[in-house]
Amino acid sequence: MDLFINQLHGFSIALSPLNLLYAFVGAVLGTAIGVLPGLGPATTIALLLPVTYTMDATSAVILLAGVYYGAMYGGSTTSILLNIPGEAASVVTCLDGYKMARKGRAGPALGISAIGSFIAGTIGVFLMAMVAPVLARFALKFGPAEYSALVICGLLMAVYLSEESILKGLLMMLIGLLLGMVGIDPVHGEERFTFGLLRLTDGINFILVAMGLFAVSELLVNLETPAGAADIFKTSLKGVLPTRDDWQKCWAPIFRGTSIGFLIGVLPGGGAIISSFMAYAVEKKFSKHPEEFGQGAIEGVASPEAANNAASTSSFIPLLTLGIPGNNAIAMLFVALMIHGIQPGPLLLTEHPNLFWGVIASMYVGNVMLLGLNLPLIGLWVRLLKVPYHFLAVLIVVIVMIGAYSLKNSAFDVGMIVIFGVFGYVARKNGFPFAPCVLAMILGRTLEQSVQQALKISGADLMIFIERPISATLLALIVLVVLIPIFKRVWKRTC
Amino acid sequence: MQNKRDVIASVFLIVIGIAVLLWSIRLQVGTLLRPMPGFFPFWVGFGIIALSLVLLVQGWRGRGKAPKAYGNWQRPLIMVAGLAVYSVVLDPLGYILSTLFIAAITLRILGVLSWKMIGVSSLVLSVSVYFIFTRLLGVELPAGILSFLG
Repeated sequence: MDLFINQLHGFSIALSPLNLLYAFVGAVLGTAIGVLPGLGPATTIALLLPVTYTMDATSAVILLAGVYYGAMYGGSTTSILLNIPGEAASVVTCLDGYKMARKGRAGPALGISAIGSFIAGTIGVFLMAMVAPVLARFALKFGPAEYSALVICGLLMAVYLSEESILKGLLMMLIGLLLGMVGIDPVHGEERFTFGLLRLTDGINFILVAMGLFAVSELLVNLETPAGAADIFKTSLKGVLPTRDDWQKCWAPIFRGTSIGFLIGVLPGGGAIISSFMAYAVEKKFSKHPEEFGQGAIEGVASPEAANNAASTSSFIPLLTLGIPGNNAIAMLFVALMIHGIQPGPLLLTEHPNLFWGVIASMYVGNVMLLGLNLPLIGLWVRLLKVPYHFLAVLIVVIVMIGAYSLKNSAFDVGMIVIFGVFGYVARKNGFPFAPCVLAMILGRTLEQSVQQALKISGADLMIFIERPISATLLALIVLVVLIPIFKRVWKRTC
Repeated sequence: MQNKRDVIASVFLIVIGIAVLLWSIRLQVGTLLRPMPGFFPFWVGFGIIALSLVLLVQGWRGRGKAPKAYGNWQRPLIMVAGLAVYSVVLDPLGYILSTLFIAAITLRILGVLSWKMIGVSSLVLSVSVYFIFTRLLGVELPAGILSFLG
């Protein structure tokens, strides 16, 4: 009953004209950047952060969240029509989606991916509304010992679940911790790594790092081989509605994809990309005709698209209940909340119920909008690909530079963005994953604080981390996460 | 085959790690049960060095995935140089002139060939963005030497 009342209350917030507008803008922007291969959701949210300074916190999150899950809708379009994934999470969709388009079935492929996304997104939001309050209540019991274990567990999972090398992921995590240490030490109040620069005593502003790491480095990568105007192969887009036969084939895969996506999305470092690959593999196993996969099987489009949407939805859960952002885009939302003076974590739900339920309701609304935006208007989005890249590039440069400057009216910050942009570019080029660095930088200070608090409570006794059941479980999980790849390697060598 | 880039990266990171170690010793390390400000930085620096050594050995033996090739690296390089100059001249020259310059560079390296086209679009862009942001959105941007324009 509570759930019902809370959601109703949420709708009263999300349906206010202004918030409807923000949800709509978010959905439109999200779809657009999902279609454009040169712009990812994390970059877009970083670019939008300065715009949200003056907005109400709830509206800001409604807008930015819309960009994130909207991108999951848009990403499939280019995968299907051009064999170019608009988003990393839509890579799998290329396999069968593009084949379907080649066979003249682009319409149903686009249709089923939009409908699958809608079903998955809606179920995902509903499950989130049920699970999140329970998890938040549970997390209220967390003391500094549990929190320390949780952060370490989250960081390590982000490293071990990323597709890049674990070694490089760990290094990036340490670099992130190091960047987070610049400024005044949270426990003793001493200056660390400031090089005597007054501008660094407050620490490195996270927005600068985010803009440099995501926006500038993405720009630099795109400059290497600027995409020419895309060569869209001509196909009739008539009849986006799947046939009855398609439905019969797809309803089960959509639900399986949704479950996989929802579960994986909750894990830090999991999220949309991995879940879509897993959903595809599972569907291939379940199918009575696995040989059709890769040749244009509609299940191979429906399930991964459902999975990436459910995952992008459920990845909000650890952010809003535990204060642990699981991927780059969600990390940007973490920053957006911090800008508005809201600490993401177990207290968010009780201290800012309007924000929580308003955002949840806006996600139902946003998914309906996205279905409407994507099904009939697909032709319009595809035309976006004809926008020449230099137009986009100039726009990104201008927005990034104003965003950096306007933080403190300082050209020093503009220089910082350039430095982080170069760092991000080199990291991208050499297979060093970002997510662990970003997450470690965000969580590092609180980690240091809570470890020291835990030790203070216990009277400098390390047993506090093992004696408390939740923290002990998390530590066991950490050991497991670290050991599994080692076992795998030994296994491989002996066989 | 050695993985040269991993070797370079690891050497670079080892240098950083050593610097961090030295700095944190100056901050005082303390012990696990009585950590001082340098405690966490010390172990982070230690971790960076240890992991970089592993990366160094792996890279030397040619293990690890082959790195992504650099495409046309001149364009990113010009862009970075341009942005660096931008951050230096932004205050003295002002927003409009600096942005005119960086927009022109961006368009030029992305293959817009006609200088007339570059000039006109950069000028329109920088002037309109300046007035939209300062007048309509209330964002402060440096006026620089064009401050007489108001």
